[in-house]
Parts: sequence; structure tokens; C-alpha cells
Amino acid sequence: MLKIEGLVTGYGSIKALKGIDLEVPAGSIVSLIGANGAGKTTAMKSLSGLLKPESGRIIYKGKQIQGLAPHKIVSLGISLVPEGRNILSQMTILENLEMGAYQRKDGQVAADLRSVFNRFPVLEERKNQLGGTLSGGQQQMLAIGRAMMAKPDLLLLDEPSMGLAPMVVADIFKVIKEINQEGATVLLVEQNVRQALKIAHYAYVLETGKIVYNGTAEEVAANPRVKEAYLGGSKTTV
Amino acid sequence: MINSLLNPYYLQIGMFVLINAILGISIYLTLATGQLSLGNAGFMSIGAYSSALLTIKLGLPVYLAIPTGGMASVLIALIIGFPALRLNGLYLAIATLGFGEVVRVIFLNLKITNGALGISGIPSLNVLTGNVLSTLGFADGFAGISLQQISNCAVLLILLVILVLLLFFTRRLGFSRVGRAFAAIKADETAAQAMGINTTYFKILAFILGAFIAGVAGGLSAHLTFYIGPKDFDYHRTVEILIFAVFGGSNLVWGPILGALLLTLLPEFLRAASDYRMMIYGAILVAMMAFRPLGLISEETVRFWRTKLGRRSSE
Repeated sequence: MLKIEGLVTGYGSIKALKGIDLEVPAGSIVSLIGANGAGKTTAMKSLSGLLKPESGRIIYKGKQIQGLAPHKIVSLGISLVPEGRNILSQMTILENLEMGAYQRKDGQVAADLRSVFNRFPVLEERKNQLGGTLSGGQQQMLAIGRAMMAKPDLLLLDEPSMGLAPMVVADIFKVIKEINQEGATVLLVEQNVRQALKIAHYAYVLETGKIVYNGTAEEVAANPRVKEAYLGGSKTTV
Repeated sequence: MINSLLNPYYLQIGMFVLINAILGISIYLTLATGQLSLGNAGFMSIGAYSSALLTIKLGLPVYLAIPTGGMASVLIALIIGFPALRLNGLYLAIATLGFGEVVRVIFLNLKITNGALGISGIPSLNVLTGNVLSTLGFADGFAGISLQQISNCAVLLILLVILVLLLFFTRRLGFSRVGRAFAAIKADETAAQAMGINTTYFKILAFILGAFIAGVAGGLSAHLTFYIGPKDFDYHRTVEILIFAVFGGSNLVWGPILGALLLTLLPEFLRAASDYRMMIYGAILVAMMAFRPLGLISEETVRFWRTKLGRRSSE
């Protein structure tokens, strides 16, 4: 469904992505893992149009989309849940969700709102409260719900576990798995490697702007280097 | 009694209040997308000069010249908008401030704008309204009020109607899809982009709407004072307009309007202490920043009064 070839994105002279190749098959969950500063968020921003890649190709459903404006990419069916969630804190929860459907002109918005509320009942209970009054976990739910309101075929999740309690993280990952089972393809960027590999089908390991390893989630989880660097393997001295 | 209330001084201040309130709407609209643009005085001068020259040189009627002046501002706003709106925050403020100065210097050096002398003899709205009224049979005044007073009142009324129309338009815009997009961009541009909002389009839209209204305000003021010069539109003017929003609050359209009203009247009330006028003015602004940094009217204020008044008003 999505194919990235030789993607280079930089900030001025600093290249955050030094030519990465990545493939997201339709219906799968693909996880992009790596440490701070590896280039994960840069990759997500390039995919969603928030940053313009310098070179390389992003092919989505057979069409090149690199360098398109963000709103055009949303209209093609790609939705980003940004890192840090970016909730509109001065708008109500309902308004936040409605804004997620900004581009849609079909009559299914009400039905999709219903399904977001079914998935996250707490959002319905608080729908008239301001977005800023939610807890971190609830904000993440709202951010995911808002992205789902655009009815995406491909959901880009940038560090959904950031700053959340372990129990809440487990809930969020359960929801991601459900969303995937209901038909959406998911590209998940995570530092929480253990959780990410649990739900992903494929995984790519990003280190300082390059993909250093990739394979099925089981293969990546079994890789000694990944174990050592990200999963707290035998050699770690913490 | 009525005669003393309708003295030219009061009437003139009333007109300035309304013009400034229109300028307040203009800066509110650009601030609605979170863009701090300080080009309003520049757009105002483009509107003023265009309208003045169109009436004097081409004989265009005033009611056509003023909106045409507004459109001239829109044209310039479109040209500078695309590069300028790539900038954010303070950078945009500096760039647009520079734009205003460039416009001023151009008008200062052009032959057609009469350089530093400015343009005088601009057809006056007061006189024109007076002519219309005298053909309607008010040539000798009405109920002891002179023709000049009636026509001044009529002009005041015209300005008020324009202000109310713009206010109505702005409020409707705020509740529309466009208004929601403006609010989302102001709150969080990245979030707005992620939600599929074409941020460039809406930022340009807000920018040209602000430019149009500033241009119209400029045209109106040119035809009220029948003289304009480059000095009328220097950066003091820009700061003055900005202060309407800072003082009154920029989150709701009522803020800049209240700011314009108070800050236009304040110097007049302080006339008695004229030596200390600017000092008092400054002190009030400093106190404002310390005690109400969001301005006099914010969403909180509206919420507070709405609960206090038992939800009688509908915002």
C-alpha cells in the first residue's frame, strides 16, 4: 500500500533521514522503532507532507505523493496522529472530532462519530468539555479518534505511548490492534519497542537516519542487536 | 441641548471611533489565524490613496471608489501574502511592518500622490451627504439642527451601518467552516494540517480579508478628512491599530472594537491633562499588560458574564 524508496529529508544541511526504504503492505501493522533522534518523527512528517523530502519517492496506492501538501495527503486517505497529540485544547472534544472530518463531504460522518464514541466511551461522556481538560491517555484517545474521523486507509501513529502510564499504553495498543483488524493499515512509530513489536506484523529499526534492520516482528524481536539495544538484553548495564 | 451635543467636535470623534473600530475588525481577522501582521496601516493607505485618486483624477463616485480602494489592498495583499505568510510570529510582524514602511515611502516619492504634501481636496463624505440631503429638502436644516449637523449624523449612521455589516459578517464567518479552520490554525497549525486543513489557503484568506477591511477604512477616512498624507499611515498608526487588539483582547471580535472605542475616546478625555496625556495613556497600557494580558474581553469574560446573567444573552 505504501512504499518508500531512498527517502532523504533534512533540516538545512543536517540530514535526519539518509535514504530509507520501507514498505507497508495493505492491512498490516508496520512498526518503525528506534531511539531518540533516529529520525522516526522526521519520517512521519515527510509521509504526511509536514516536511518536504529532498529526494526519494513515497508511493501510495501506486501514486507518488512525496512533497504534496498535507491536506492533499489527508484527502488521499492518510491520517497522522502527531507526536505529542496536538489536541485543540480550547475546543471541545466534540469539536476536535468534527475537525478531524474537515474534508469529508459524504454523509457518513455521524456514523463514524458514533463508532469513535463506542470505541472510547469516555470521550462521549466528556464531549462538551474542552480538549485541554483531558488526561494524557484520554488526549491520545481523542487524537486517534480525530484521525479516524477522516476515515483513513492508512493511519500514521507517532509515538502514541509517549508520556503515558503503562496500563494506559496497553489500552492504546489494544485499540490500535482493533483499528487494524477493522481494516485500516497502520504505520506505528515507537520508542516502546516491546509493546510495538507485540502488535506489529513487520518492523524496521531506524538508527541515525538509516534502516539498520528489518523483518517480521518476531525476527526483529529475536535479533540479538535489537534485544541488546531496545529490549533490555543480557548485556545492558542499567 | 441637542445642538450642543451635535457639535462638530463630538461628531468628528464619533466618526474616528467608528473608523478605528473597523480597523479593529481588520486586525482581528488576521489575528484569527494567529498571524501577527502589522501591515494594516499600509493596506489602509493603499485604500485611502486609491480611493482619493480615483475620485479626483477619474471622477469615480465615492461609493464605488472606496470598495475599489479595498480591492486594491486585496491585490497587493495577494502579491505579498504568499511569500510573507511563509514566515511565522515575530518574523511576519517585522516583514509586514517593513511592508507598511515601503508603501509609505513609495507614496512619499510618487508624483501622482503629491509626495510629502499629500492629497487635499478629496471629495468629502459630509459635503456629498449634505448635497443629497439638501435635494431632499433639508437645505435649511431640520427642527433647529443645521444641514451640516444632519449630514454629519447621516455620515455617522453610514459608518455605523458599515461597521455593523462587517461585524455581522465576521461573526457569521467565525461560526462557519472557515471560522473553525481559522481557530484550528491559530490553536495549533500542525494539528490543523494533520486534520487536512489547507492552512496556506486560510491564512491568505484571513490576510486578504484584513487587507480589504483596512483598505475600506482607509478610503472612508480619506473622504472624511478630505486630506491625506504619508504621515497619516506611518508605523505609529500600525501600533495604534495593534493596541486596539492588545488592549481590548483579540480572541473575540468585540475585543478590538472595545479597544478602538476606549482608546479613541481616552485621549479626548485626557485632554484636560494634556501635558501628561501620553504618560497616562502609557501607564494604562502597562497596567493592562500586568493585570489583563489577554485584553479586556476574552472567552473567559464572556463565560463569566453569561453565567452571571443567568444565560440570558446568547453570547
